[in-house]
Amino acid sequence: MNKTICGTALALVMAAMPAWAADEVKLQLKWVTQAQFGGYYVALDQGFYEEEGLDVTILPGGPDIAPPQVIAGGGADVVVEWMPAALAAREKGLPLVNIAQPFKSSGMMLTCWADVGIEAPEDFPGHTLGVWFSGNEFPFLSWMNTLGIPTEGGEDGVTVLKQGFNVDPLLQRQADCISTMTYNEFGQVLDSGVTEDELITFKYEDQGVATLEDGLYVLESNLEDKAFRDRMVRFVRASMKGWKWAEENPADAAGIVLDNDATGAQTEAHQVRMMGEIAKLTAGSNGALDPADYERTVQTLLAGGSDPVITKAPEGAWTHVISDAALN
Amino acid sequence: MMLVLFAILLWLSGWWINTRLAEGPQANSRAVRLAVPLIFGLTVLAVWELLVRGLNVPLVILPAPSLIAVRFAQSTGLLWQDFMQTFVKGALSGYVLGCGAAFLTAILVDRSDFLRRGLLPVGNFVAALPIVGTAPILVMWFGFDWESKAAVVVVMVFFPMLVNTVAGLSETTQMQRDLMETYAASYWQGFFKLRLPAAMPFIFNGLKISTTLALIGAIVAEFFGSPTMGMGFRISTSVGQLALDMVWAEIVVAALAGTLFYGAVALLERVATFWHPSQRG
Repeated sequence: MNKTICGTALALVMAAMPAWAADEVKLQLKWVTQAQFGGYYVALDQGFYEEEGLDVTILPGGPDIAPPQVIAGGGADVVVEWMPAALAAREKGLPLVNIAQPFKSSGMMLTCWADVGIEAPEDFPGHTLGVWFSGNEFPFLSWMNTLGIPTEGGEDGVTVLKQGFNVDPLLQRQADCISTMTYNEFGQVLDSGVTEDELITFKYEDQGVATLEDGLYVLESNLEDKAFRDRMVRFVRASMKGWKWAEENPADAAGIVLDNDATGAQTEAHQVRMMGEIAKLTAGSNGALDPADYERTVQTLLAGGSDPVITKAPEGAWTHVISDAALN
Repeated sequence: MMLVLFAILLWLSGWWINTRLAEGPQANSRAVRLAVPLIFGLTVLAVWELLVRGLNVPLVILPAPSLIAVRFAQSTGLLWQDFMQTFVKGALSGYVLGCGAAFLTAILVDRSDFLRRGLLPVGNFVAALPIVGTAPILVMWFGFDWESKAAVVVVMVFFPMLVNTVAGLSETTQMQRDLMETYAASYWQGFFKLRLPAAMPFIFNGLKISTTLALIGAIVAEFFGSPTMGMGFRISTSVGQLALDMVWAEIVVAALAGTLFYGAVALLERVATFWHPSQRG
């Protein structure tokens, strides 16, 4: 009898051990659960976080969630954010620091109807373009500024619409061009029965105005804490392991994302395609931020025209401390 | 910590002054009745300012009122442009169209029992539609500019106005209507001389409810697609840019506009229904 109780107690303690010893990390995503964040879900599902002794909670985002606000309010330890928004937040007095950059390239592009007479960016004036706001408008405004096209409408400028997070304005021809991500909205346009021949796309990457997307950011003040740094090192290491696993097994990774989608809004075909496109963007990054990419992002943003995203080059907005320790 | 203590002291002293004023001999004089809410409001603002500064609350969580005031003063041009786009073009035109249509529908409903049974349930159904569901569809139909915002406002104000007007038109008693009948009054004579005046308090009730709904509708509709101006546009995009002082400045504009709009309709009511018992102040 005593033996049984002891045995049971021991088993209970053993079972509770990993959960009790694991360090908690809260990750706030930039958007809803989808393959765009496949690497994190894979790391969670495949136990990469657990191996590092971490208890990670992934918080999905959405159209009304601004990750910088969440981290400022203490709702997350680390957030996935686009660099323009992170640098803007830094200038607004919220010192975010990039600790890792799993995405090498940008997936952002403008998708236009081929029959509206736009063949090159110089043809934009006089047309209506759909743009996302909430921090995603910065790359667009910088691009228009480098082209010297005003965004107040009229004959010589472009008329900007605040586009919702769907592709209806293009399909209904309320806009000649809309913002799309290679891995998401572009697929939605194709799904609606439009063929690629009917469209012309301009990738920000090709236009030389790409800004870094989906980096991992933490608060500068937290980085002074040794225990926090150690947690982040393990987190980045496991996350990158997850990303590389997702790159190699896109179909399985899409399945894992679907399993984690509490809303049930995502379909398998869409997620498999998204994972394939995301893999192209994460390929070429081992997780460490390339300073040259950072510089290009800052230069693009500083060219923001009359209402620049950032007014001066930021300092200390990124660090290799975490990624160096994580990847070596 | 000093600032926080100061805030608590200020709160208590404001509270004490107001209690003294409200219980004092002059409690019913005009000056005191104006002073009490004024003191309360100023205390709230001062305590907010002191707490935000004292506890080092970051701007992205809650900006101090002084920062909001500075932002407001610096961007009056922008705020005015947003106000014109959302309030004047979107909310006001939708309000006039929606309330007008509802008033005319109410007369139709009143004239025929067939329509009463047919239209009121439909109106009920429309009232139950959630704005977040209808707004994207209306933006799709009417485009991104103010027309779609006006359409959302029409949908929102139509039902409360309709129900209030219909209820108002049945406010008279059978005896009063019979009297009109014995005077050989036509439907319209009876309508204008007896039933419309009797319905006035109800109609104004509908109009007052609709003022707030119109403003909410126009602002929320802009979240679902808009040109690059408008109060809803500015609020939703400034949050993304972490310009929370701008968000609050727009909130101040919305609060002022909403209060003045409601006040204007209430004033109109006093002028139009001065004879009604509820207006004897």
